[in-house]
Amino acid sequence: MERERICFTLNNSPVEIHCHPGERLVDVLREQLDLTGTKEGCGQGECGACTVLLDGRAVNSCLVLIGQVAERSVLTIEGLAAGGKLDPLQTAFVTEGAVQCGYCTPGMIISAKALLMEKQNPTEAEIKEAIAGNLCRCTGYIKIIKAVQTAASARLEG
Amino acid sequence: MQDQVVGSSPVKVDAKDKATGATKYPGDLRVPGMLYGKLLYSPSAHAKIIGIGLADAWQVPGVRAVLTANDVPGHNGHGVIIPHQPVMARDLVRSVNDVLVAVAAETMAAAEEALRKVKIELVELPAVFDATAAMAEGAPLVHPEGNILSHHKIRRGDMAEGWARAAAVVENTYRTQMVDHAFLQTEAALAEIDDGGILVLHVATQYPHWDRKELSRALGMPEDMIRVVGGSVGGAFGGREDMSLQVQAALLAMHTGRPVKIVCTREESFHAHSKRHAMVMHYRTGATGEGRLTAVEATIIGDTGAYASWGTNVLRKAAVHATGPYIVPNVKVDAYAVYTNNPFAGAMRGFGAAQPAVAYEGQMDEVARVLGLHPFAVRWQNAMTEGCITATGQVLESGVGLRATMEKAGSLVGWDVSKING
Ligand code: FES
Ligand code: FES
Repeated sequence: MERERICFTLNNSPVEIHCHPGERLVDVLREQLDLTGTKEGCGQGECGACTVLLDGRAVNSCLVLIGQVAERSVLTIEGLAAGGKLDPLQTAFVTEGAVQCGYCTPGMIISAKALLMEKQNPTEAEIKEAIAGNLCRCTGYIKIIKAVQTAASARLEG
Repeated sequence: MQDQVVGSSPVKVDAKDKATGATKYPGDLRVPGMLYGKLLYSPSAHAKIIGIGLADAWQVPGVRAVLTANDVPGHNGHGVIIPHQPVMARDLVRSVNDVLVAVAAETMAAAEEALRKVKIELVELPAVFDATAAMAEGAPLVHPEGNILSHHKIRRGDMAEGWARAAAVVENTYRTQMVDHAFLQTEAALAEIDDGGILVLHVATQYPHWDRKELSRALGMPEDMIRVVGGSVGGAFGGREDMSLQVQAALLAMHTGRPVKIVCTREESFHAHSKRHAMVMHYRTGATGEGRLTAVEATIIGDTGAYASWGTNVLRKAAVHATGPYIVPNVKVDAYAVYTNNPFAGAMRGFGAAQPAVAYEGQMDEVARVLGLHPFAVRWQNAMTEGCITATGQVLESGVGLRATMEKAGSLVGWDVSKING
C-alpha cells in the first residue's frame, strides 16, 4: 500500500500523518492516533457509534476515508471538552442519566453537537432527527433527548 | 458521600469518562507487541469436517499462529449447563456458531488474509431448523442423545373440572422469533501472559468468575493461574453470559507468547453469542361467562439452537410464567427446550418470561372478545393480589402492585376504569 502524507486539523490542532489514503478515518483515529473515544459498532454506517464532526457536520467515520479529510477539520469526542472543561452536552448526558453502557455516548454527543451548532433551541422533533442515525441499545432514548434539551437550555441561559 | 440514596438521582460513577471518551472498553486496549487475532466461523449449520488445510495460511507474512481443535490442551468445550460447545470444532459442525480456526498476526490485514487462505472441506449433513420438526421421530439429530434438552411440567388442580366449568374456551398458537441482543460493542478480548506467568484476560463479560472456570477447564490450567479482568461492558442483555472469544484469545496468546487482541466485526458478533429463544406456544384457555379463568393448558417449545447454553433454565422460566400475573385454578404446562441447527439461544432480557406474555395476553384478549367483555375487565377479575398462589404454588405474600398499576395505566389510556369494572 502506498503511504501518503496527509495533513488535517484534529481537535483544533494541526496533525500530519502517513498512511494509505484509502484507510478508514475510524481506524486511523483509533489505531494510529490512539483516540479510542470514537467507537465502531457496525462498520457500515448503520449505528452512528463512530460519529465525528467533519468541518462541523456529523459524519460516520467508518464511511470516511482518510484521504477525504486532507486539509479539513475533524473533531472527535476527545476534542469536545476544550481545556478540560466539559461541553454542556457532556455535562447534561451525565446529570440526566443518558449514559448507560456508554458505547453509543460519544457518537450521540457528537451528533447532538452538530445539531446545537446549527440550532440554538431545537424542537424535540429536530433532536430526534439529529440522532436518528445513532443507535442506543440500552437507554430507550428518552433521557438522551432530555439531555440534549437540557444542554440547549443551559447554553441559552449561560 | 450522599447518605440518602433511595429517592435521589445519584450520578453514575462512570458516566463522565464515558461522556468524554476516556473509558477503555476491551476493544480500545492496546499493549506493546500486541498481535491481532481473528476467528473463522463455520459457513455451514451442520456438516462433517473432512479437512482443514492450514499450509497457505501459515505462508501469509506476519502470521504468528494458526490454531485448530488440535491445539486445545484441555476440555474442548464450554457451556454454562453442559460444556459441549466446542472451543474449536474438530469433526463436526452443528451451527454457524462453531469456530474452525483461530489466527494471530502482526496486523489485522494479515490475520484476515490468513483466514481467507484456510482451506476447509466440509460435507453437508441434513439439518433441522425448526424446533417442532426437531422433536419428531426421525428428525436429524443435533446431539446423539436426542434433540430434547429439557421438558418442564407444571400441574395444578384438575383440568377436567376446569374445562367443565368454562363457558368459553379459546385455543391459539403463538410464535415469537429469534432475536439478537445486538449490544453496541461487539465482542472483544485482550489476552496476555504477565511476568509471573499468569494468563490475564481483559474481556467485556457478565461473569468474570465463571469465565475463569471455563478457561481453566479448556486450557487445562489451574484457576489461580488465570486472571479475568472485566472492564467496561458495551451492553450485554444476557448475550455475554457464554464464552465467545475468551478461550481462543487465551490460546493464541499462549502459543505466541505475545498479547493478542480479538475484536468481532458486527457479522462475527452475530456468530459469537446466543440469541433469544424463538418459541411456539400453543394455548388453550377456559373462562366462565363473567370472564373468570378456569383452566390454562400450554405447550411451549423453545428453539435452543445447537447448544444448551441456558436453554433448560430459560424454558423453565417460560413455564413458570406461562399463566402470567393471573389467577388460574387448573393449569397444565409443558415447556420444552429443543436443539436445532440454528444459532444457539440463551439468556436475553426476561430470560424466557417475555415470550409467554405474547401468548397469555393474546388469550386474555380472545377470551374478552368471545365473551363480549372489556379486555380490561377480564384482566382485572383475574389479577393476582396479595395472598394469591401462583401455578407453581408460590404464595405472593406482599408487594403485589398489579391492580394499582392497571388502574393507573388504564386511566392513562383514557379508560373509565371503575365503569369498565362495573
Ligand atoms: S461504526 Fe460507523 S456507523 Fe456503525
Ligand atoms: S448506552 Fe449502551 S448503547 Fe447507548
